[in-house]
Amino acid sequence: MPGPDKLPASVQGAAAAPTTPATEPVRAVNAGASAAAGAVTSVLPRAVPQQQALAFPVPAPVQELPRRARRPGRLWLSVYLPALPLDALQPRKPGARKPEPGAACAVFDEQQGMRRIVLANRIARREGVIPGLSVNAALALLPKLCLLSRNPASEERALLSLAAWAERFTSVVSLEPPDVLLLEIAGSVSLFGGRDSLRQTIEAGLREQAFTVSTALAPVPLAAIWLARSGSGICVTDTERLNGALSPLRLDCLQWPASVCESLQGMGIHCIGDCLRLPREGFARRFGAARLLQLDRALGRLPDPRVSYRSAERFCRDYELPEEQGDRELLLQASRLLLQELEQFLLTRQTAVQQLRFSFFHLKGAATHLTLGCLHPQRAAGHWFELLEMKFERLALPAPVIAIRLRGGRVQALQMASANLPFQSSGRGQQGSSIAPLLERLAARIGDGFVHGVTAVAEHRPQYAWSTVQPISQTMQQTMRQRGGERIPQCAAVPTPWDAADAAPQLAGMRRTGSLLLRRPLWMLAEPLALACERNMPHYQGPLRLKEGPERIESGWWDDNGIARDYFVAVNAHGVHLWIYRNVHDDADWYLHGIFG
Amino acid sequence: MNDALDNLLRDRRVWRAVKTADDSTSPGLASGLDTGLATGYPKLDRQLPGGGWPRQALTEILLEHYGTGELKLLMPALARLGHAADAVDDNPAEAGWIAWIAPPFQPYPPALLQWGIDLSRMLIVHPRQGSETLWAAEQALSSGNCAAVLLWPESLDHTTSRRLQLAAVKGRSRAFAFRPLKALLQPSAATLRLRLSAGDPGTDIGILKSRGGRPVVVRDYAE
Repeated sequence: MPGPDKLPASVQGAAAAPTTPATEPVRAVNAGASAAAGAVTSVLPRAVPQQQALAFPVPAPVQELPRRARRPGRLWLSVYLPALPLDALQPRKPGARKPEPGAACAVFDEQQGMRRIVLANRIARREGVIPGLSVNAALALLPKLCLLSRNPASEERALLSLAAWAERFTSVVSLEPPDVLLLEIAGSVSLFGGRDSLRQTIEAGLREQAFTVSTALAPVPLAAIWLARSGSGICVTDTERLNGALSPLRLDCLQWPASVCESLQGMGIHCIGDCLRLPREGFARRFGAARLLQLDRALGRLPDPRVSYRSAERFCRDYELPEEQGDRELLLQASRLLLQELEQFLLTRQTAVQQLRFSFFHLKGAATHLTLGCLHPQRAAGHWFELLEMKFERLALPAPVIAIRLRGGRVQALQMASANLPFQSSGRGQQGSSIAPLLERLAARIGDGFVHGVTAVAEHRPQYAWSTVQPISQTMQQTMRQRGGERIPQCAAVPTPWDAADAAPQLAGMRRTGSLLLRRPLWMLAEPLALACERNMPHYQGPLRLKEGPERIESGWWDDNGIARDYFVAVNAHGVHLWIYRNVHDDADWYLHGIFG
Repeated sequence: MNDALDNLLRDRRVWRAVKTADDSTSPGLASGLDTGLATGYPKLDRQLPGGGWPRQALTEILLEHYGTGELKLLMPALARLGHAADAVDDNPAEAGWIAWIAPPFQPYPPALLQWGIDLSRMLIVHPRQGSETLWAAEQALSSGNCAAVLLWPESLDHTTSRRLQLAAVKGRSRAFAFRPLKALLQPSAATLRLRLSAGDPGTDIGILKSRGGRPVVVRDYAE
């Protein structure tokens, strides 16, 4: 093994071609670096390796170096949330600030049976409640202390929600669990009025959401994280100056294991600058190649690719109630908050959803689900809430509710229609789509299947000559017809409509000539009604007199529902015109099929 | 005629015993709200104040049996409502949806087409409870999308009929409520109340109550 004196004087110096043969740890550095470097080949500024096993893996030709320097710089804004365990547990309602400013709060977690304080707010700290203190000691110091159990899941959720929020500033947001967010803002700087203005906007936005933050800017993500942890708020834009900016940082910014830090401190090394002065090989051997790699990345000598965060495509959010709740009004209000979150979610994406599902969870038993649907994609919370109110009214909850979950359906592009100006006449005839709110309200209260439109079908059999449709699809069909001028094909069983304006004269004319055209009743029975017969004549509210007919309809032999019937128009004693028939092959029974209305 | 007198007569607080379309001497009265929607049956139009179905109002049609001619009575007017705007007074608001709420049978599309009804603007609602019928009717009337709302309520007391009347005004719509003949003795806020009965030949209409008109019986209205 070569002695330390033969190694380069500092870690930085190591870049300039160490001359000693490779040792195991350094090889580990190489392997890690090449894995992290991925496809990037020309990353090393100064290393001109002569041997295979040098400190840096990639043979980088010298002439390529200027090109890298010219590459558009990256700028990472790191957001460090030092009080995340505490902040994540604050009840977060839109517009609401922290509950009471005067209360002392602390978060504890349990390690090996000991409950220790993890974090305390300023008021508690002032009374001596410091991290590491046992819960009993803290309570002894401050009996009124509000103790909260640490909840890593809610911390993760808070970090994710902040990442989603941060996407409004840049498309590259990266998570650095447990408590750091990275935003690559080089491209956004000019859009937000400069670097400082953007940084202030982000900080202000986070404070408004009641988070304690510390930010820093650096061209390298790891450096930005360390600078943010140090709380100095430094802004470094040049890779060259990273060394100077990072050197004074204390070791605890690195969040290395306590044993590593202790042994470093035992060696009299208290800041990053001290580490950088250590011989690379020895450092790697003593503290692990990964730490050396970290230092190189922080100084921008090695690439540091980051996985960028992608927010969920669909909305799914939970609202946990502090205790089981049976009060429907309260549940409705909680649901309204979820809907408002949904609106924000959709607003940032300029999308809308057509379907939502609420799940009301109970402590015991399966959850109760409630599905809401709209005819057009919607995002307005008010609109959804109106529908929810109507459906919730008749929702039976078998037990009190402990949590509510809202899941949005597939997101769709929101199509906005411009509203009319007040002085423009609002023609309801022109806007077929404006019926949608009414249809949604009716469907929400009465039920989806009970609100429909109708259409005629080209079919000779009377019972198949019509079908129910969704009213809106009909409207679309109609607008298509208006545009293309084409008609829906119709067969003889569906006569052409008259000109509406002179229906009456035509009707009169048909009455005179006894035309067959009008032999279709306006009322149809769902199922033909067998009529009682007396002396071979059918009865319905009295004896029937046949007035017109027969009209034979014989069709449908190709499927199993073929008919062969003779239809008659009959009149009963009350002057009601009925449409009755008998089967051709079995003419004893009479059936009522329609009423002429 | 005298302007002052005209103005006085136009005041809604002045109740006039007779105000029909024949009243050609004062054309001012036959405009705006007072003009009805032509029923398509000239004989009936002549007896209705405004010459047709009243606008923004509830019309009650009482009948003993379904099929006495109650739909035929409305068909020409509904056909004009659903169709091209220019057919009715150049008022695009007239073209709109026709809602059928709680019909006793299925309205039969081929026959509706024969009458010239625009099926793409028809909406059929089958409420499961009586209270939902009235709720749905009120919603449809006040939405402003429906040119006409046809409803078959189980019951309709004075307060409810008043609500429907107000909803019709709010949504610039018109409601037609079909009720059994025994409702004749119940009070109602409807603007127009008709009784249909089978005559010989055709169907007779008794105008029981009409704002600005007087009770009369029209024999065989479709003649």
